[in-house]
Amino acid sequence: MALNIPCPFCGTRPYTEFTFGGELRPTESPDLDADFARVYHRANVAGQQQERWFHAHGCRRWLTLTRDTVTNRVG
Amino acid sequence: MATIDFEGTQVPFEDGDTIASALYRHGVRTFNRSLKYHRRRGLYCGTGDCPNCMVSVDGEPGARSCVTEARDGQVVERGTGWPSPDRDLIGITDKLHWAMPVGFYYKAFVKPRFAWETAERIIRRATGIGRLPLDATPAVKRARSAHTDVLVIGAGPAGLEAARAAAAAGADVIVAEEREVGWTFPPGRELDALRRLADQVRALPNVELREGHTAIGVYEGPTVPLVAEDALVEVEAGRVIVATGAVEAHGVFPGNDLPGVWLGRGAALMAARHGLGIGDRIVVAAETEEGLMHAATLRAAGSQVILLAPTALAERALAGVQVLRDARVLEATGSKHVTGVIVETPEGRKRIVCHALVLSLGWAPRDALLRMGEDLPVEGVGDVVAPVGDPPLGDGGYVCLCEDVGVHELEIAWAEGWTSSEILKRYTTATMGPCQGALCGLHLAAFAAARTDQVAVKGRRTTARPPVRGPRLEDLAGGVHEVIERRTSLHDRHVALGARMDRSGAWMRPGTYGDVAEEIRAVRERVGTMDVGTLGKFLVAGRDAQTLLDRVFPTRLHDLAPGRARYLIALDEGGYVMDDGLICALRDGRYYVTSTSGGADRMEAGLRNWADRWDLHVHLVNQTAELGAINVAGPGARELLGRLSDDDLSRAAIPYPGHAEIMVAGVACRAIAVGFVGELSYELHHPRSRGPELWDALLGAGADLGVAPHGLDALDVLRLEKGHFFLAQDTLPDDHPAKLGLGWAVDMDKPWFVGKASLERMAEIPLERRLVGLRFDGEPQRGMPLEAAGQIVGRVTSCARSEALGAAIGLGWLRARNGGWPTTLRAGATTATVVDRPFYDPEGVRLRG
Repeated sequence: MALNIPCPFCGTRPYTEFTFGGELRPTESPDLDADFARVYHRANVAGQQQERWFHAHGCRRWLTLTRDTVTNRVG
Repeated sequence: MATIDFEGTQVPFEDGDTIASALYRHGVRTFNRSLKYHRRRGLYCGTGDCPNCMVSVDGEPGARSCVTEARDGQVVERGTGWPSPDRDLIGITDKLHWAMPVGFYYKAFVKPRFAWETAERIIRRATGIGRLPLDATPAVKRARSAHTDVLVIGAGPAGLEAARAAAAAGADVIVAEEREVGWTFPPGRELDALRRLADQVRALPNVELREGHTAIGVYEGPTVPLVAEDALVEVEAGRVIVATGAVEAHGVFPGNDLPGVWLGRGAALMAARHGLGIGDRIVVAAETEEGLMHAATLRAAGSQVILLAPTALAERALAGVQVLRDARVLEATGSKHVTGVIVETPEGRKRIVCHALVLSLGWAPRDALLRMGEDLPVEGVGDVVAPVGDPPLGDGGYVCLCEDVGVHELEIAWAEGWTSSEILKRYTTATMGPCQGALCGLHLAAFAAARTDQVAVKGRRTTARPPVRGPRLEDLAGGVHEVIERRTSLHDRHVALGARMDRSGAWMRPGTYGDVAEEIRAVRERVGTMDVGTLGKFLVAGRDAQTLLDRVFPTRLHDLAPGRARYLIALDEGGYVMDDGLICALRDGRYYVTSTSGGADRMEAGLRNWADRWDLHVHLVNQTAELGAINVAGPGARELLGRLSDDDLSRAAIPYPGHAEIMVAGVACRAIAVGFVGELSYELHHPRSRGPELWDALLGAGADLGVAPHGLDALDVLRLEKGHFFLAQDTLPDDHPAKLGLGWAVDMDKPWFVGKASLERMAEIPLERRLVGLRFDGEPQRGMPLEAAGQIVGRVTSCARSEALGAAIGLGWLRARNGGWPTTLRAGATTATVVDRPFYDPEGVRLRG
């Protein structure tokens, strides 16, 4: 699989340097009531998805990425 | 003279010989027995595409002898046939087709039930293409990455021209060639021209020509793994040009698999490169221009050639070649080898006596890689995309040479309702052998197309999937041996002390220094040291530090005063325990957090993610690598440190659980008083570079106190005596705190923390299992099932003999039974009693010291 991720700090790097953090979910303010749905109800889209990646073997910062889950195309 | 050892006979070979040519010169005609019916198989394609010439070389089966260079001392065997491929008694199966119809393993030996077990054993022994060496030394192969604008697969004329053109346009180019340039060309002008072209391409600064690099698949990206002798090279390319050419079309007619039936290139290479005639009298069936050249080559080598060709081609045939216009092969005859050919001519049927039959009937593109790249920037050049006519498919003979599937078998399968190439393939296993349909894929599609009007089925070929060339397991495992090894600053000290160093995640850690029991005694009775520099260590600062930690961890934090420490667990959003560690409150609202050695990366990622998402003002410094840590534990710990430090070490200065900054042997340390091992202990966190001198000072100053270092083995027992679990060894991925007996470490009064919503929901469900302490009356083993009233209700996750307790103790999972928790269990031959934890010093008197 070839997925290259444009890291704003390190430039475009192969996905193997990153840790996947799952789809982007609303977490702006902690809220107990919304929690359960947020944890267990994922959109799991086939197509454009916003998701989190951690550049574990680079700057060790998180980034939010838009990726097509079908084609792996980024952006 | 150089020889190869062929089944006990020393077979001489000449320069440039392949194993196949050397054996052929020696008189070998049967190279193999077929998979199922044990039919003789001889040299056929000569270009490494078909399965016929496979032998085992130096114990490794599956080598295509026609493209494997002969080397002195090689041990070559044919893996099939009993007692030998030449006189193979299992060949009787060729007379038993009725007993092994297509898909027979779905039909036969179904009843009675034991029948298949017996049959399978016999079938397994009788079939196959060789024997795997069970005592082989695992080879270690490197993995490498390469990035390029253009990857060209195949260094034939088309591939090299494409490489040159791409390079001229400014692209960086890698050309991957399976063997060496020109290996399918007989000596002559064409080969010379190709070699000149290769030299020119090689000389270009932006082209890298890699010979001996076999592309085995095209993946997303496009990414192409290349298998080389010493490495697996993963090429990421902007675009891929497939220039793998074509193999000559496989002729399907009765007798087509007899030794002595050749594809044109194989026959021509044997004559022109190796100087070996393949028979005095040869029938060449040519439908291509190249077929005429092969006829000429074979004639030049001294054979009498009878050419079967369409009129248009026949007119251009060389003088001296006998021509049968518009004749086609109906059948090859012979029992061990071709002795004749039955042909159809405009004048009627004719039988021709001959020693070999050479087929140049058309082309089968090596287009598997191209088809794998359908949705990717992958294109083909040269013969791989040249137009192809109908494959030569008669009404008998073997379609799939690898899997012994004939036209007749396909007809039965079709009649049974397997009516498309995809399901024909699955039912008959045609195209599923070592050549992966390179020869017969087109035939299978044509077979289906001729029998249906369904557009969806017509002419549809089976899906191309990697690998196209059979890689070795070591190729697929390329790079797995390349691991990053992390060492603490004390690594050399451990080695010098004779420690057995164990791999623990990425870290190397001392397992034991020799005597585990003595290491345990040192901690319990005197004082012990352990290198715990592998722990995750984090400094959390910034005005929102407390807010972040309070929301992320379930631990109560608001009352944690500077100088105090607290046990910490980390939950994921599902409420499951991910990690545990310590949190120390520093001055000025800063915190020092430790995690398990294996959980450090995840701890950092988790904290950063939440800080990021909540937009909190937090500085997180991962100090795992910059700080070392040594745990000094035992009744003599304070005495030992007192000799090396002027600071106050009493409970007033360093409370339990708490911490303080002290100087030990001139090294600035954060001493954390906690007790994983259950004794008075100080975990000394210090700058990594000062680790060795601190270690030396501790061991040096404590000689008369009986100080001794201990490793992981001792720690395993020490923590077990305190009833502490090891995350991942004793826990499962879906353990919430209550299952582990950690309810006390969770502050449910907090308005929110990661995982709280899940814990609230789970609190409504009765606990179905929990981790318990066990005391055994014998010697159990880790992993043993725990039984109650004859039913398995749990499992031993840790156990050890405790000298301090005089019994074997352990931890284990226990399931609730009839609404209660069994208290007496069986673990193998021993009885296990559920007991309260900790086993040792339950009041914690010793560690409070």
